[in-house]
Amino acid sequence: MIERHLHALQFEDPGLEETAATRERLRALFPRGATRRMTQLGLLLGSVLDPLHPAEEDALVYASSFGESRALHDYLASFPTASPTLFQTSIHPSAIQQVLVARQQPVREFFPFGGRAQLVAHAVEAALLAPSPRTILCGGEERILPPGDSGTASPVGFAFALALGADRAAALGTLRLEESPAPAGELALAEFFAALRDRRPLDQPVAPGMRLVLTWL
Amino acid sequence: MPIEAADCRTPFGDARATCDALRAGRRALTLQPVLGEAGGDAVPLATLPGRRLDETAPPAWLSCLDGLAGAVPAAPWGDARHPVFVTSSNFGVGSLYAFSRDQDRRHLEFCTPFALVEGLRRRFGWGGNVAVLSHACVSAHLGLRQASRVLQAGRAERALVFTFDFISPFVAGGFHALKILNPELPAPYAVRPTGSIGLGDGAAFAVLGRNGAGFSLSAQTLHNEMHHFTANRAGGAGFAAALEPVAAAARGRRVWLKGHGTGTLDAGRLEAEAFARQFPGAPLVSWKGALGHTLGSCGLVELALALAAVRGGEAPGTVGSAPPCFVDTVATAPFATRDYDGVVLASNAFGGAHAACLLTHD
Repeated sequence: MIERHLHALQFEDPGLEETAATRERLRALFPRGATRRMTQLGLLLGSVLDPLHPAEEDALVYASSFGESRALHDYLASFPTASPTLFQTSIHPSAIQQVLVARQQPVREFFPFGGRAQLVAHAVEAALLAPSPRTILCGGEERILPPGDSGTASPVGFAFALALGADRAAALGTLRLEESPAPAGELALAEFFAALRDRRPLDQPVAPGMRLVLTWL
Repeated sequence: MPIEAADCRTPFGDARATCDALRAGRRALTLQPVLGEAGGDAVPLATLPGRRLDETAPPAWLSCLDGLAGAVPAAPWGDARHPVFVTSSNFGVGSLYAFSRDQDRRHLEFCTPFALVEGLRRRFGWGGNVAVLSHACVSAHLGLRQASRVLQAGRAERALVFTFDFISPFVAGGFHALKILNPELPAPYAVRPTGSIGLGDGAAFAVLGRNGAGFSLSAQTLHNEMHHFTANRAGGAGFAAALEPVAAAARGRRVWLKGHGTGTLDAGRLEAEAFARQFPGAPLVSWKGALGHTLGSCGLVELALALAAVRGGEAPGTVGSAPPCFVDTVATAPFATRDYDGVVLASNAFGGAHAACLLTHD
């Protein structure tokens, strides 16, 4: 069994909000001029990470199934004169890089996870195993409706960030992975987000041999 | 962390065949249109034999992954005690590019990382304990780091790290737009007026566990500068932060160095100088002048090649480069490995990401 305690929780739940509205709403959180090229996912993650003040010695674990969907599709639309900016923005960990480059904030360990059914299990496992005194576990999706009904993007936007540590004092809750005899299990990122937003407990198999337990104090 | 097995696939074949080709100074890179069938400048690309840059449905590279998966030692991969870590920078994004052009819906099952990995999981008979990591060109190192951490915590008996990146107009067009993929062949660490990289197909696996067959990984180090998307902090502080812990772990050993060395000038100079400061006199090689940059897979492709080099007794030199180089320790010709008992392996990525580790052998 591995566990850490939740010391802070931030979330953004913009639902169907368009990128331009998100940019206008969150502009004040970023250095002047930084939001012009930021994606919705970058803006949302910047909003939830800002109060946690990520530091160099924190381990940062990031989870997203779709990543930079809008930059990816806009980049595809830029061919045959491919856009260098959209290319570099389209990579999976770009949202976090947009935020931390704007703040010139290095981090030693940064683990960007993808996947879907077991995404939460593996991101939580990485967060709970990181040796740093504080781990920040964050994740999210941006909303776009890609052309051709391709199923390559999220229909809703959301983001969250948790600060995790070993100290139980003043904790909001506890996040734990227990061994489980179950040969399978899953928990999608949107379901994990909803539990965090609503402060609902979780106790369920999330991957072969892994049971996730989220409790609130 | 003991390495039980490792191998790779490049346009030259498996790790042993690739190592032989590199020792002979061969280059897999050829000048091809950057956008495949859509044309464009001729740039250095290295694709698997017979594979076109434009994606087919299903992707032509699936047979390469079939062969690689067939070389993985048997185990109940993907169960609770045998996790799999799949890493890539681009996954099946070439299929998304193809879908955007021809609207053929057969591409869609390969377009997203989760759909592609789920397909591979079923194809290879793995269970559901399959983690997916993507951090551009240090992706494979992250898979190795997380697999090691899970094993060290006693949460697994053996772990499989499986990595791949296959080039497409999507990625070639992007690096071409950044002007570092141009008509020049790469010459890693060489002093010349213009920097250039090549891109190549690559895939690899490693099995980490308790019985290492004489090879071990240690001092797995990560650092993310977050200074600029496509540039490093001047002065090389990021390179130093990644290499210092490895140098401390390597103290008392005789090591050679497998650098990232894509062929760009600024990053190449910073990397070579940082290596020279931390490991004075140690020979430095890069193999991307022959294979191209295999992107998210490069850390593990090159680890498998380093293992093959040590087993064969001779390390390939920096194919495509000639003096003058940024430092005088760049090895441009093959050299014997018998006088060394360790290899330092380093990779870099967008965002000033650094990963490094120490490979030791009995």
